[in-house]
Amino acid sequence: MRAAWLPTKFGLGSQLLPLWVPFSQQTSRHPYSSLLRAIRYSRRGTIIESRQFVTSLTRRGIAAPEICFEPKDSQKGIPGHARVVPASPSYFTGKPEFTDNLLFLQDLLRKYQTLPVVQPGQAPRVAWKTLAQYRLVVGEPVKASKYHKIVLLLQRLNHIHPSLLPEDVKSAIAPYKRDVNPHENVPNQRTVDRFGRVIGVGRRKSSTARVWLVEGDGEVLINGKPLVGVFPRVHDRESAIWALKATGRIDKYNVWALVEGGGTTGQAEALTLGVARALLVHEPSLKPALRRAGCVTRDPRRVERKKPGKLKARKMPAWVKR
Amino acid sequence: MILRQLALRQGRRVFIPSASRPWIRFLNTEIERTNITVDNANEANLDYIGSQTDIPIAPIEETGESLVSSSYTMWLNQKKQTAHLGSTLDPHYKPHTLINRPPSPKDVTLELLMASQAHLGHATSLWKPQNQRYIFGIHQGIHIISLDITAAHLRRAAKIVEAVCERGGLVLFVGTREGQDRCVVNAAKLAGGCHLFERWIPGSITNGQQILGRCKMKVVDDLGNEIEGYEEQLIDRATLKPDLVVCMNPLENYVLLHECGLNAIPTIGIIDTDADPTWVTYPIPANDDSLRCVNLIAGVLGRAGEEGQKKRQAAALKAGFTGPSPNRKAGDAS
Repeated sequence: MRAAWLPTKFGLGSQLLPLWVPFSQQTSRHPYSSLLRAIRYSRRGTIIESRQFVTSLTRRGIAAPEICFEPKDSQKGIPGHARVVPASPSYFTGKPEFTDNLLFLQDLLRKYQTLPVVQPGQAPRVAWKTLAQYRLVVGEPVKASKYHKIVLLLQRLNHIHPSLLPEDVKSAIAPYKRDVNPHENVPNQRTVDRFGRVIGVGRRKSSTARVWLVEGDGEVLINGKPLVGVFPRVHDRESAIWALKATGRIDKYNVWALVEGGGTTGQAEALTLGVARALLVHEPSLKPALRRAGCVTRDPRRVERKKPGKLKARKMPAWVKR
Repeated sequence: MILRQLALRQGRRVFIPSASRPWIRFLNTEIERTNITVDNANEANLDYIGSQTDIPIAPIEETGESLVSSSYTMWLNQKKQTAHLGSTLDPHYKPHTLINRPPSPKDVTLELLMASQAHLGHATSLWKPQNQRYIFGIHQGIHIISLDITAAHLRRAAKIVEAVCERGGLVLFVGTREGQDRCVVNAAKLAGGCHLFERWIPGSITNGQQILGRCKMKVVDDLGNEIEGYEEQLIDRATLKPDLVVCMNPLENYVLLHECGLNAIPTIGIIDTDADPTWVTYPIPANDDSLRCVNLIAGVLGRAGEEGQKKRQAAALKAGFTGPSPNRKAGDAS
């Protein structure tokens, strides 16, 4: 049998106990049997571990123990006092990454506050990440009002004069920019092609019209048919070439168009817009005249959706007495 | 003959870069003529600065962008040239110094506390009678806090912060009122602790897994260097709780202090005459409505934490701890 003794950490006056207790004497009649029962013995009689005699009921680690830097023999080479600490000082905010970002940008702005700025509105247009995109990046439930603080800081940093913009500001701003800047997305300029054609696209309601306009003597072919064959109503025929008629160019151009979707009115007015856009490429100076004729602006109205409780979009059911 | 100045004024002397400066100018009978117009004003300025300094100034191009940067450089240059001019001010209050270079606990004096308005309490009708022992008297209807008690309690709190930091504890600095964010963040930076300057999320201690479950932790050694290789163990580890909470505005943070009480976490708080001193473990009777006072107290406690961290590092270095070897992973017993 091997001797076993109670270490003093059990704190219950180990000097009162016998220095060693033979394994065979572990009976219930032993004076310290209630104490000893709490101690688990291995098969060979050595004490493994007992937690029952910890006197302190308070949470572990509140009053941190004194530092002892001498490593134990068994722990040679293992970092002796490895501690678990928060990865960020903003741990207790619940949104550490967001808070760190905010503090970083605030510090940066404080550092470069005195740099000259451009006039309001003259800064390069930047599309910042949307709230949803930012949330995906940080993986935290950031509120819109909180993210707005970051955006305000970014806008202020973006207003620093471009010739003096420091490199660290550039690199700090970059991750907040959207991958595709929609403000840089400008439509291509339409030109007259080698056959003298200009394509113009017009839309109205749910119709789409593609119009090829060439200089000519006033022929009109829509979906391969003459104007009369496509639009039985005189008003629609007038609408389709209204851009040419309003500017007195009916006999100067030929129209070849493909139009699809929607009804006759929509198709006719889609053609108006398409013809006007093509005509503007041939003669840009006609723009004021075309605008006065109402041919430049896209009419954005669509069919209004039906609502519950209504017969159509807005029509109420007839009133019935009971 | 027009003699505008017979003797040089003191301020002008410093403009003279060398002896080549034409003294004759002051004895001149004619007025100096310059042909500066709006168009060439900037060039004229540059010429003037170029004549005044040894620093060469790059010629400006006529584009707007470089004009801005060159004007800015010129302004910086001018500022540098004229920085030492003018009168010398007596020592005065500079708000940023309390943030950037806060005083340490041993610099705390009653004069400093009084200058920071730490003694001003609230109207007598708003008082909490538990604060009677901290109150010096009544002046113009408000309670005056006794500054010797404030200083004593502040030093005691500083010792606590220092000792907790020395033993590697986690100190949380909380100041959720408007304007308290910078001092709180800076104190946490000095003390190597955490900061909170927005709302305390109720349950961050008592229900930590739900609220702080996604916040990352790391394992550091005695010198504060991160040890790699514990990532898997950290995933299902319980969230951290602070070992000490320093609260700048206990009135608005009752929930936080209550949670600390439930978890036996000691708290330090600025207790104004209308606050309940039993909410915190170690009260500092002072004015919590003055940003200057709050900046001072947060700075002092941050410095104390910094001192504790230094002692901890020194003890580790003294014991020969130089940090784990870089290529060892957690779990290697060799």
